[in-house]
Amino acid sequence: MRLLSNPRITSCALVFAGALVLATSELWADEAAGGPAGSGSPAGSGGLAGAGGPAHHHSATATIAKYTAEYAPPAVELIRDDGKSVWLPQELDDGRPVLLNFIFTSCSSVCPLASQTFAQFQRKLGAESKTVHLMSISIDPEEDTPARLAEYAKKFGASPQWQHYTGTLAASLAAQRAFDVYRGEKMSHTPVTLLRSAPGKPWLRIDGFVTPDELLHEYRNLLASK
Amino acid sequence: MMLRWMPRARRDLVVLGLMALASFGTGVHAAATPTAGELLYRRGMLLSGRPAHGEREAGAGVEGADAACSNCHRRSGLGSKEGRNSIPPITGTYLFMPRTTSPDDMAVPFVEGARADRDPYTDETLARAIREGIGADGQPLSYLMPRYRLGDTDMAALVSYLKGMTRAPVPGVTDSVLHFATIITPDANPVERQGMLDVLEKYFFDKNAAVRSASPRLYSSRKLIFRVTRQWQLHVWQLTGGPQTWDAQLRRHLAEEPVFAVISGLGGRTWAPVHHFCEQQSLPCLFPNVNLPTVEEGDFYPVYFSKGILLEARLIAGQIGSQHDSSAPRRLVQIYRSGDVGEEAAGALRAATGGRGLKFVDRALKHTGGSQELAAALEDVGPGDALVLWLRPDDVGSLAAVPVKAGAVWMSGLMGGLEKSPLPAAWRGATRMTYPFDLPEQRRVRVDYAFGWFSIRHIPVVAPQVQADTYLACGLVAETLSHMVDTFVRDYLVERIETGLEHRIITGYYPRLTLAPGQRFASKGGYIVRFADPVRPKIVAVSDWIIPR
Repeated sequence: MRLLSNPRITSCALVFAGALVLATSELWADEAAGGPAGSGSPAGSGGLAGAGGPAHHHSATATIAKYTAEYAPPAVELIRDDGKSVWLPQELDDGRPVLLNFIFTSCSSVCPLASQTFAQFQRKLGAESKTVHLMSISIDPEEDTPARLAEYAKKFGASPQWQHYTGTLAASLAAQRAFDVYRGEKMSHTPVTLLRSAPGKPWLRIDGFVTPDELLHEYRNLLASK
Repeated sequence: MMLRWMPRARRDLVVLGLMALASFGTGVHAAATPTAGELLYRRGMLLSGRPAHGEREAGAGVEGADAACSNCHRRSGLGSKEGRNSIPPITGTYLFMPRTTSPDDMAVPFVEGARADRDPYTDETLARAIREGIGADGQPLSYLMPRYRLGDTDMAALVSYLKGMTRAPVPGVTDSVLHFATIITPDANPVERQGMLDVLEKYFFDKNAAVRSASPRLYSSRKLIFRVTRQWQLHVWQLTGGPQTWDAQLRRHLAEEPVFAVISGLGGRTWAPVHHFCEQQSLPCLFPNVNLPTVEEGDFYPVYFSKGILLEARLIAGQIGSQHDSSAPRRLVQIYRSGDVGEEAAGALRAATGGRGLKFVDRALKHTGGSQELAAALEDVGPGDALVLWLRPDDVGSLAAVPVKAGAVWMSGLMGGLEKSPLPAAWRGATRMTYPFDLPEQRRVRVDYAFGWFSIRHIPVVAPQVQADTYLACGLVAETLSHMVDTFVRDYLVERIETGLEHRIITGYYPRLTLAPGQRFASKGGYIVRFADPVRPKIVAVSDWIIPR
């Protein structure tokens, strides 16, 4: 893993991350006061073990942390919202840039926002959105059937380039672990968005609620530096 | 069993009082006519009937049901927790409580996400929070919280609803006692009934044995207070007569013995009247022992371990649907007894296999009858047929006189007795059984916990799975209540089960139990097994754990 902006501020970044969580809003402060152990550090627990720390961006509305990272997606079979069985690596490596997140359809607060952000990202990209693959993998594959996912996708106006995936619990867990988004159970999940410009390139990981504009900005940056 | 804890006359007064209180709090609990505030809170609907609209600063708008407060703050208004995001409680109690420096000093029951260190809201600052996303202390609220375009009348309706939420005393909760009911239908299996009641009564006895006399209030930890002082009391609501009379009986029971929740229970042919009663009365109905649960999308209060025989039907449908070669059956013959739940299972299987070119034949045996009728029903079954047995152990055992002629035989494990099914040796090789539980060798450690407890308490094991599930239901409720500290709100109990169930490690017969907002069936799949021995209760899985799609 490599820090995006400045590799020398690792420890500062850690402290900074904590401070932001305390200061940003009522919601974050609540969490800092009463959060249970094991819910992961604000910047993603697994992500901090590497050589770099996160780069933070703090808008008036949300706190996000960015990294670049290498992940090894497992060779697991998933079932797409059109009912087709697919291999995760092939879905990721079809040549297009990829945006990836993890959701579940019974989720009532965090996931709808993440899905809405994807929907707006697609809209803002306009015709260009046909060249980018958006992928949402269910972290509740036992409940999320392909039909349920298709209905969810429709609700968010997903275009054919945005696909949702389910599969066995083991396959979903393997994908979650590989991308370091597994937090022990689905209700402990945190918002994470992953971007990659092309197969073989590193991933850009964004922890926190990224806005559609920020996501668009990051996406364009990533493609420009390809 | 129904402990008379006060004289009849006085109890009636209490009942009247509680009924009056219940009707006072109708804005929150009654299923009848929702108030304008409730519609806005739960469905995102304005007084005009139009959808409410909310915006987030970065432009992600929400509308209508997606904008409903209850999505995040939940039906109880007591908030929730997703990952690192604590959604704070927003009932009047928490919005308007006085500022303190420490959560331990709060004068209200502890709820995760409640903030003690900010000024109480006023009607004005609350309206500002909802419209502009500015908190009582002038700080911006979370990015998750939309800013709502609400007119003054809608705002007044919403604020009034928030103020009224959870204000009425909760039935079945006193300073010293938590009242629970368990519900038994008249057609429940008498052996299972006794097995279940043994477990419930001993569990309640044990729970109360650990409760000492009232201890002084401990200001440092409210969790401790609850655990030390509240007794659990069980009321057994034994129904009689036909299902059409159950609702009236249940209402009478509830009026005479107000309870906080229904725990476990035992059904027979139908559970629907009990399900609908619980939903209408806003009464959590947690993990009853029923083969045929009621599946009603959107119902809140009844929660089940699994979809039972409806799940089994989907499991069989998946197996039949996967056969596309010459071995695929042409006809699907389903056998069930009139007056038992197999009829619904057969219907569910037909619906799930629909459009595959199969011919469906349902054979309903008389309500009671001997093995001859069963033999006659199977007479024309041949190698081109798949046979599905929705039969109880007595019928399954009587198959010995009937030759196996069907090309494939499926049987319901739940109805037929699981691995202990008396299926005759000749049928064992050909029959595949649905098994919506973890396999015996894989669940051993988890169920030994329950069976060890039964043994120490001298509870005869007469219906192992029902008794293990009953014990599990008690454990789940106890664990959830301990997380709720002393916030005894019925909606909150269901919400905490929804989100907390996945923590549970001791899951009895089930490999895994999970729920989430809106989910009501905790175990989602099952195995297909075959008998590995002509006599002994030994089974082998012929499939992985399957979750029907």
